[in-house]
Amino acid sequence: MTFAERMLHIDRRIIFLVIGVCTLLPLLYPVGLAIKVSPEVRGVHDYIESLPEGSVFLLSMDFDPASKPELQPQAVALLRHAFKKNLRVIGMTLWVTGTGLADLVVSQAAQEMGKVNGKDYVFLGWSPGVGSLIITMGQDLYKAFPSDYNNQPTRELAVLKGIQTLRDVNYVVSLAAGTAGIESWYVYGKDKYKFELGGGCTGVIAPGLYPLLRSGQINGLIGGLRGAAEYETLIGQKGRAVAGMDAQSATHVAIIMLVILCNVFYLLIRTSRGQSGQPRG
Amino acid sequence: MIFLRRQLPLLITFVAGVVFAAQYYVPHPTSELMLTEVTKWLQIISGFALVLGVTSLFHIHAVKIRRKEPGWAYSLILYGGILGTIAAGFSYSFTAGQWVNGKETINGIVTAFGWIYSDMMVPLQGTMFAILAFFIASAAYRSFRARSREAALLLIAAIIVMMGRVPLGEMLLPVSGDVTQWILNVLNAAVRRAILIGISLGAVALSLKIIFGMERAYLGGGKE
Amino acid sequence: MPFETLLGAWVATGLTLFIFTFLYQDNPLFKLAEHLYVGVSVGYTIVKVYDTVIVRLLYEPMVNQGDWSLLVPLGIGMLMLARYFPKIAWLSRIAFAFIVGVGSGLAIPRIISSYILKQVEDTVRPLASLASGGGPTFTYNLLDPASNLNALVLLIGVVSVLFYFFFSIEHTGPVRVAARTGILFLMIAFGAAFGYTVMARMSLLIGRFTDLIEFADPRYGRATLWLLLATVATLIASGARRRDHPPGGG
Repeated sequence: MTFAERMLHIDRRIIFLVIGVCTLLPLLYPVGLAIKVSPEVRGVHDYIESLPEGSVFLLSMDFDPASKPELQPQAVALLRHAFKKNLRVIGMTLWVTGTGLADLVVSQAAQEMGKVNGKDYVFLGWSPGVGSLIITMGQDLYKAFPSDYNNQPTRELAVLKGIQTLRDVNYVVSLAAGTAGIESWYVYGKDKYKFELGGGCTGVIAPGLYPLLRSGQINGLIGGLRGAAEYETLIGQKGRAVAGMDAQSATHVAIIMLVILCNVFYLLIRTSRGQSGQPRG
Repeated sequence: MIFLRRQLPLLITFVAGVVFAAQYYVPHPTSELMLTEVTKWLQIISGFALVLGVTSLFHIHAVKIRRKEPGWAYSLILYGGILGTIAAGFSYSFTAGQWVNGKETINGIVTAFGWIYSDMMVPLQGTMFAILAFFIASAAYRSFRARSREAALLLIAAIIVMMGRVPLGEMLLPVSGDVTQWILNVLNAAVRRAILIGISLGAVALSLKIIFGMERAYLGGGKE
Repeated sequence: MPFETLLGAWVATGLTLFIFTFLYQDNPLFKLAEHLYVGVSVGYTIVKVYDTVIVRLLYEPMVNQGDWSLLVPLGIGMLMLARYFPKIAWLSRIAFAFIVGVGSGLAIPRIISSYILKQVEDTVRPLASLASGGGPTFTYNLLDPASNLNALVLLIGVVSVLFYFFFSIEHTGPVRVAARTGILFLMIAFGAAFGYTVMARMSLLIGRFTDLIEFADPRYGRATLWLLLATVATLIASGARRRDHPPGGG
């Protein structure tokens, strides 16, 4: 086998090692390169910034532990921003396995900002049905969630005073790891109940949400860990997302190098086979 | 009897489908009230459906243990995981002084159920998906070859986007950030829009076929 | 540090490393973690569904607020369980018919409105204003997604991709030109999707590594380092044993 062929058939564990090192080293020795903010992320930030005190902000953390590294930093940044603006925060989730995570994120952010459960924020938890849940919330919030996650009757909570349905919510942001997320909130929610909708999502589904962004169906999109880092930069509180950007840079460059190398070796093999008159690979 | 078994479900699908499709266009208070009630019912029934899939899992692994097939010890671990988690979820928490009732924390105190969630489920699920990073790198190296003009275009677009979305890339190749934005907001948006429209038309067509009884695969269960 | 937190850190780190061992080769540690993952996830879902559906959505409203109309969804839900009894399995079809019927009925007008009408409207609207506004106001800033030039590119993209996917007519003549343009747009979009997928996967890995680095701290008794040693030792030992006693003999 020629050198190029040997390189193309290299043990994949060596590639694993390269990726592992490219992820680990920048985490241990960060550099802190500047992060440019994109208009998509600015859309969500500026809207929350424009909301008057006491406005109702619903954050739906529609993800499970698999997407925690990308979406939890987004949730933390959004909650910090919303609590700083003294908005009334309603937390919930459409994904059953994400309930514990969502509860933890909301309580920790609230504790950090000195907010009181029932008065400044409420965590409703999870309820089955995605589309049917959103419609029920749009018809009558208290039918969808008769009690909050701590079994307190929702009708008696000060934070929900004056809110009957989703029409009374000023801004909904869905942090989505799949279809049961931003898309469901639009189709079953905003389409009929006309609240303002913004989104955060994993990198995997982000490109698919750009049509909604362009048409104004969502007013902003926070995409992946990079989006979370941009949001942290905007609110001036750097967290896990910014800390992960150096490792992100290193791994991307590593993948690009791998892809370029792969094509170089492939080209070498093709030209050598072409020259020696042997059948092409 | 045949009517009950075969025609009744199709009739229910038809009536329910037509009524709720029409409901969207009828803002009358009675229609809205019906929507509220029935979507609440749908929620509850979806909850029942969630646990249906679990029982086949139970069955497969029970058979494995009973027949002592290779790897049956792992099936025992799986069962242990299920039963242990359920037991923790319905146990009594002495530190919090009340029944856990499926809560991860009670007044800030982490329950055993919460411990299992944060220190077992979250790391396990997180890592299962994190190892994909290694596989995508290895797959990219092995197979991402520009065999044709179209493949080369895909490759170049991928490299530009990968550069444009990280601070180092924007520093090394300043134009990559702007080009990435253009690709995402215009080219990618156009393609995804076309795909979205196409898929939605297909979904609507399928839903109509289901409502009119032309598509019956969803029925399943029992003899015809 | 409370004992549960310390124990939790060690268990979390151990399980994380067990799953990472799959990168070296499939082994008992990985299989253990994999089966535990499925078990715990299923157990968690069962607890949550029971607490939410049976207790909070059915029992409490029925008993505490006297909302007996909930017997209807309870009945339909129970019908679904009939599929486990062959003699009455057909009853479950009624439940599925209800879910699918209502679900389809709810979805159709909403999808038409959200994804078809709204998306087509947004593709065409900038050009409608262009047609009425005229030449002098034509904006061609490529960096502004709302500019007229980009609106034209967007329209060409949407139409050509739709043409590409329309397989009921032959791709010859002008249709072929449209379809080939569609393919070019598709390749660029897929390239962008690949780039984003890479970004997402790397982010997940960064998240796990961040946790492992945190648990390597002396506060947690350097859990990561000790467990890494133990895991590597186990892998080497089991690898040696497999070499000495190959499965299946000889």
